[in-house]
Amino acid sequence: MSRKRMLLRLVLKASWMRKDRAFTAFLSIAVVATMATVALTVYSDLEGTFSREFRSFGANVIVTARSSSLTPDEVQRIRNIVGPKSEVVPVGYAVVTGENQQRLVAAGTDLRAFHQLNPTWSFNVDSRNASGESIDSHPWMGTRAAESLIADSGNYDLHYGSKSLTIQRGPVFKSGSEDDSRIYLGLEDFQRLTGLHPNTAQLRIDGSPAEIERQIQALSASLPEIQVKPVRQITAAQTTVLDKTRSIVLAASAVVVVLIVVCMVATLTGAVLERRKDFAVMKALGASNSAVNLLFAGEAALTSVVGALLGFLVGSVVAFWIGLANFGAAILPRPDLLVPVVLGSVLLALIASTAPLRLLRRIHPAGILRGE
Amino acid sequence: MFLRLLFESFRRQRRRKAFALLAIALGMSISTAMIAVATDVGDKMNYELRSRNANLLLTPMDDSLDVNLGGVNLKPASEGAYIPESDLPRMKHIFWAHNILGFAPFLSDQRTFDVNPPNALGATLKANLMGTYFAQEVKTSSEPFITGVRAVNKFWQVQGNWPADDSTDALAGASLAAKSNLHIGDRLGIGSLTLKISGIVTTGSSEDEAIIAPLHLVQRILGRPNQVRRVIVSAMTKPEDDFARRDPRGMSQAVLERWSCSPYATSIAFQIHEALPGVRVDQIRPAEQAQGTVLSSVSGLMLLLTIASLVASALAVSAVMAATIIERRQEIGLMKSLGAGNTAVASLFLTEAGLLAIAGGLAGFGLGTILAQRMGQSVFGSPITVHPVVLAIVLFAALVVAFAGSTGAVLKAIHFDPALVLRGDA
Repeated sequence: MSRKRMLLRLVLKASWMRKDRAFTAFLSIAVVATMATVALTVYSDLEGTFSREFRSFGANVIVTARSSSLTPDEVQRIRNIVGPKSEVVPVGYAVVTGENQQRLVAAGTDLRAFHQLNPTWSFNVDSRNASGESIDSHPWMGTRAAESLIADSGNYDLHYGSKSLTIQRGPVFKSGSEDDSRIYLGLEDFQRLTGLHPNTAQLRIDGSPAEIERQIQALSASLPEIQVKPVRQITAAQTTVLDKTRSIVLAASAVVVVLIVVCMVATLTGAVLERRKDFAVMKALGASNSAVNLLFAGEAALTSVVGALLGFLVGSVVAFWIGLANFGAAILPRPDLLVPVVLGSVLLALIASTAPLRLLRRIHPAGILRGE
Repeated sequence: MFLRLLFESFRRQRRRKAFALLAIALGMSISTAMIAVATDVGDKMNYELRSRNANLLLTPMDDSLDVNLGGVNLKPASEGAYIPESDLPRMKHIFWAHNILGFAPFLSDQRTFDVNPPNALGATLKANLMGTYFAQEVKTSSEPFITGVRAVNKFWQVQGNWPADDSTDALAGASLAAKSNLHIGDRLGIGSLTLKISGIVTTGSSEDEAIIAPLHLVQRILGRPNQVRRVIVSAMTKPEDDFARRDPRGMSQAVLERWSCSPYATSIAFQIHEALPGVRVDQIRPAEQAQGTVLSSVSGLMLLLTIASLVASALAVSAVMAATIIERRQEIGLMKSLGAGNTAVASLFLTEAGLLAIAGGLAGFGLGTILAQRMGQSVFGSPITVHPVVLAIVLFAALVVAFAGSTGAVLKAIHFDPALVLRGDA
């Protein structure tokens, strides 16, 4: 029997004959690898997962034409720069006169897109009425505008210069901002009343705060004729939540992984110390220090590779499930984490199982066999 | 005899017991720290967000409509209604006073300023003059309360210095400054007063087009003493649910009490409205609503991570407990050959496990508390407090995990034939 086969046999037999102990080591490694995988996967996907959550915050960038209005060409260029995942909704504003000479701001936009951009606005009616008609097909009134216009059921007139338009009373919304004093018309109605084209666009740029900042730079650079302004309140909130969540996930995961590692190292070290007799027998039969080291290390490596692989699988599944359960979108496994997780676990296991051998080496084999 | 066995077992196997104890203590400190973090992270994050932007807006009840276009207010100051500034401290007397973290009143109107010295773009400048609190001390019945935009709108970025509330310094909005070539140190004359620009502010909304000065100064310039047009309030709230959306006016006394005792944005708004009857209170919906969903997903994430780490530490602890018992097969064989019954053996080992669990649980709780405080301190700047009820949970968990780990191993051990175990064949 060659030396290599002998070593392999010893390693396999050692694991097989001491199933309980090998299982404990295996389980410890698997648990460490699982937690490390979960923490790293969740952590590295946090930005993506949260930018989905931040959609409901509304527009995070406002662009305004410096003179007159945004041309369709400019809107298209903005869309090209920010990419298909971001939303771009042009809005036009004008001061119009309502009943009793009341002045108010009318806005014209694609109501469906605008509604998608501002999902937190609350309406006094359901988003679809009994006949399946969407509220986006009627002009909206802000609550305060609705109170002062007092057109309970019927229609009301809006005037702009010499033109006027009769508007059908539609749903009433609450936004908690100055929009509550405004009336939102469909783009066609708005243009029929005022003849104006949208001069601003509300943008919901998808991505991390750094990404948003980059897009703002790109927009200002390629479209000098428009003014690009981040809505600081929204981007600041996003940055805060993201930073704090990352730190807390990182801190908590670090604590969990470190403590479980300590626990695992203690178990493995204990298990090796229990095998003093094996160690002594081998030495008594003439094994060199390096051969014994190799044997113990080989055993630990075998157990930990299998344990770490299993841990990575379980960890990926857990992270996937956390994504589904909490964010409604799966957090996909990251194969690039496999190598660091497995290497880390194997390294830990090797350190944990070979460090105590140094202690044993100081004792004479005969002493151990005599039970000293 | 039982006690003696127990005592000797601890005395003679210190190393093994220490491993088991270490494992339990570490596992339980993970549990303590994670439970504490998961339960507190929502509040901490809420506080963090609330100190960065306001979530309630106060306007006069019978105000006329805002005519705001491109950040410029077109409504003349003579039109509409105002809120008396001296009424505002009453907000700090409502039931949820402690949840009101801060507020900032605003008053603004278009004014023409003399630019001094005149720059290339002219000697006069027409802009919105906005008055607010920067960090004003407000007299309430209890402790002194310092509030203003610096407290509720931390997202305002000021280049230069913030003005003091009793000075004649002012901030210039970034867009206005760029358009009109204003710089820090420039002076703007209005009536008999001169404002000195101490900083340039970027906010991303209408303030970027305005000159922002201390409120009392602006009240004097506009001739509106003790009057403000709107107030933004930052209040700690509980995310809205179905109960929160009910209309308080239709509630019975008992239900109203329960509703008022939950710090929903709607109930705080209702109480502010009761304290300041002439004022309408609106939620700034994106700030209030969307943050609710984000906060609950942060808490949810921590909860799931906590569950995962609890399971992980339970597995680790169980494995250690099982390992320590399996190593003691010979002892079990010896006891059984000397006539000990299965129950006696099992109860000895389980008692040992129980003692280890309690000691480890206590140590783990202590360590976990320190860890949680450290984490809170480093991430949020304030320690995360561990609720005493967590101790009970942790001790219970430690017992369950230790017993679960031991029982299987003990059962397996007592089913071996003592003779075989003693010979070393099993």
